[in-house]
Amino acid sequence: MKTTDLIVIGGGLAGFMAAAVAASRKQKVTVLTYGSGSLPLASGAIDIFNAKSPEIAIKNLPAHHPYKKIGSKNIDAAAKFLLDITAQANLPYVGKLSALLPIVTAVGTLKYSALVPESMDASKLVDKKKIFVASIKGLKDFYSPMIVDNLKKYFPNKSFEVAKLDLNLLGGRDITCMDAAQLLTDNEQPLANELKALNATADDAIIIPPIFGVMGNFSRSAVQMQIKAEIIETTCLPPSPPGIRLQRAFIKYLQNSGVRVFENTKVIRGVTDGQKVTGVVVENAVREKVFHARKVILASGGFYSGGITMRDFDNPIEPIFNLPVFFTTGAENWSNQQLFSDKPQGFSMTGIITNDNLNPVDKNGSVLFENLHVVGANLGGCDKIFERSAGGIAISSAYKAATI
Amino acid sequence: MEKTTVVVIGGGATGLGILRDLSMRGVKAMLLEKNDLVNGASSRYHGLLHSGGRYAVKDQEAAKECIIENQIMRKIGKSCVEPCGGMFTRLDIDDETYEEAWVKGCADSGIEATPITLDEAFRLEPRLSRKHVKSAYLVPDAAVDGFRMAWQLIDSSKRYGGELKTYTEVVGFDSVNGELRGMKVRNQFTGEEYEIACDIAVNAAGGWAGFVGKLAGVEIGVQPDKGTLIAFNQRIVNHVVNRLHKSSDGDIFVPHGSITILGTSSMSVPDPEDTSTSREEVESLIKIGEQTFEDLRDFRILRTFAGSRPLYIPPGGAVGRSASRGFAIVDHEQDGLKGFFTIVGGKFTTYRLMAEKMCNQICAKLGNKTPCRTAEEPLVEEVPQADKDRAKKFFPSYGTNLAATRLGVDRFKKVVERLENDPESRELICECENVTRAEVEEICKDDTSFIVNDVRRRTRIGMGTCQGNFCALRAAAIFADMGVESTAKDSLTRMKEFLQGRWKGIRPVLLGRTLRETEMTRSIYELSMNLKGGAPQ
Repeated sequence: MKTTDLIVIGGGLAGFMAAAVAASRKQKVTVLTYGSGSLPLASGAIDIFNAKSPEIAIKNLPAHHPYKKIGSKNIDAAAKFLLDITAQANLPYVGKLSALLPIVTAVGTLKYSALVPESMDASKLVDKKKIFVASIKGLKDFYSPMIVDNLKKYFPNKSFEVAKLDLNLLGGRDITCMDAAQLLTDNEQPLANELKALNATADDAIIIPPIFGVMGNFSRSAVQMQIKAEIIETTCLPPSPPGIRLQRAFIKYLQNSGVRVFENTKVIRGVTDGQKVTGVVVENAVREKVFHARKVILASGGFYSGGITMRDFDNPIEPIFNLPVFFTTGAENWSNQQLFSDKPQGFSMTGIITNDNLNPVDKNGSVLFENLHVVGANLGGCDKIFERSAGGIAISSAYKAATI
Repeated sequence: MEKTTVVVIGGGATGLGILRDLSMRGVKAMLLEKNDLVNGASSRYHGLLHSGGRYAVKDQEAAKECIIENQIMRKIGKSCVEPCGGMFTRLDIDDETYEEAWVKGCADSGIEATPITLDEAFRLEPRLSRKHVKSAYLVPDAAVDGFRMAWQLIDSSKRYGGELKTYTEVVGFDSVNGELRGMKVRNQFTGEEYEIACDIAVNAAGGWAGFVGKLAGVEIGVQPDKGTLIAFNQRIVNHVVNRLHKSSDGDIFVPHGSITILGTSSMSVPDPEDTSTSREEVESLIKIGEQTFEDLRDFRILRTFAGSRPLYIPPGGAVGRSASRGFAIVDHEQDGLKGFFTIVGGKFTTYRLMAEKMCNQICAKLGNKTPCRTAEEPLVEEVPQADKDRAKKFFPSYGTNLAATRLGVDRFKKVVERLENDPESRELICECENVTRAEVEEICKDDTSFIVNDVRRRTRIGMGTCQGNFCALRAAAIFADMGVESTAKDSLTRMKEFLQGRWKGIRPVLLGRTLRETEMTRSIYELSMNLKGGAPQ
């Protein structure tokens, strides 16, 4: 029977982060993933908290909040680790925890985030005189006129120009940002030529959909070195190339660190011995198989990824270890009347409650398994979308769990 | 001042039927609707074209009207009707003596009810409960699309000179010596008020008929009766499946395209605007539905919705399930207001007959002797096969037929031209319902499109599996570019309003896979798009 140091269940941001941190500390790690996590859906930026200074806002959170259990030391360390490994992967991120950076969204609003891919950092717009918003002929989901209309409200004194680039994408099936990014990888010259033709100067910026390839910053560098104006990517509808770049950077890091990643491997239950988890059982095409480990990190996600399911009202389930799941009771508290509400959504607080070591606890606060740690979206007690804390909680809980 | 002969108040099936009928008889008529068309019970219902079977025991007259109108509708509104047929099934817990009365009632009303063996029933509807179903009959029920029929009624009316104003609310009436002269109306978006002169006004406001009556100073016995329905993400049934028992809640399943609608409940409410739904109502509908289809809970629920039936309550009459589903016409000359009529009650299936009877009275007043032709002439012409063939080069044939029936001859032709000339217009805005950019652009430009939800009702964007996750951004962007200046430019508000509209129906059924979709919606629009706007404080 082979026993590894750590099994990570889940290949989203939290799972990959936990595996990467543990591997960087010379642990033997196995990652079991099923599905692809929520990175392909995400903007690519890491939101920490929706406040002018996330650092200060987090200090003032109530004691039951996951961030309080994680602790600011781990949040700092996680941010630093992420900045390091993305820099190593030539996918540079910028930002800090004491202030947020703006990103231009695909609808033309600004979104504010703590850790931002350099290609999306819109703080550079401030001293530009003219902003080009360039859509791509045949590329879906990027509507320059709407983006300009809405962006003007943030920058009333700048001049704007709608541009349309032709990369010869038209004629076949519908093209998404992801398709364009894939086509552009190692084939950047057509984009550079079209951008050159805009005759934008160093006083200008050009906003484009996120199509600078699917691996690191290579495509962007190849184009930017030929263009005087700053080129800035927006967010987009999924699948999102910036999220996928981050996912791939992690996968590469894990491969180089000797982490075994099993894809399409569904963990169906845990093997436990009293208060210890000794392994997990996975289901594959022909038979069940058991993986053994000294420690397990549960990063299986929330409702979106199926880490928590709910077939009947008032009965959410964590399907692998059957851990108790916290949820908001009462139909009237389950969701708010407005989808885009000014308060947290009850259903979104659903999740597992832990102690300060991120071990799952029962109603009375007693630890259920001392070598099982819960991280990321399946931590309960806060609405991570409302707070814009999903990314921050994912990386910092993963960091803590991996270093305990 | 604008002038017309007859003003029809209310853009539901009845009002639209009257506008068409009058226009075809050569009477100058205008329809006013305070919201978008079919915003009340004419779209917030099963979409069931009754065979009359449901009324065969309780109300023979209604049953007879249904079967006749059912056959007319199949003829004149071919592309709005899905002739899926209906099945009545009696369960072990249902009263056997009711079955005998029902068989006799159908025979007496002229409804063909064919008994089938249980083996045959399970072959036709494999998901039926083998434990509970004890007998089954086939009847000529069908599914009918209320939205599509409304737009076709308008197209038909306009061809004969009928006029339409949506988002225009009547706020007062003008009469001299007990004789109606006209009314004051308000534009819902601009707030502008103005007057329209007319000789006759018809109050066809459905659940709102009481309010309209009050404005004119007459009392009308109408009781809004809320019915809640559930839309499932799959086609659970092939036929309309009815419970063979005394009409009750949650006993009809209607297949529509790729979804199934289960309904309905019956609850008196003070306000027809109350289209709220609750977890309890959903739970109670599912509990009843499960008796016929045991695995009902395993199907994903898309959303829930509710509408108010306008039940006519004659002085001292019954309410709720025992109230008549029949209709009434009131000439308010008896109340001292000449030229003002109310038509209330009835049901979607018999809208045409109601309109015919109403128009007969109006025409008698006007001295117009032209006979009604609404039962003979199709609502719209058929889209030529040649145009469909041209369209098939650009989108799947499944989508082609749907788009052709949605758009009608002229608009479809324009859309096909767009597809041919502008390759970018071929992209799909709504992958769930197969709607191209060309079609969305065409409808955005239409003079009845004021918000993205109006475009949704006409194209079906956002009505499918993803409930608007992807098309909200696309549709709002196209609308900002093509729609009316006054509302379209505010693209962020339009996008929020569109998603909020979907949210209303999702909240009471927020469990299972719907939770997943919702987290995706929030992740896209709250996180990636910061649709709420604003900077951190």
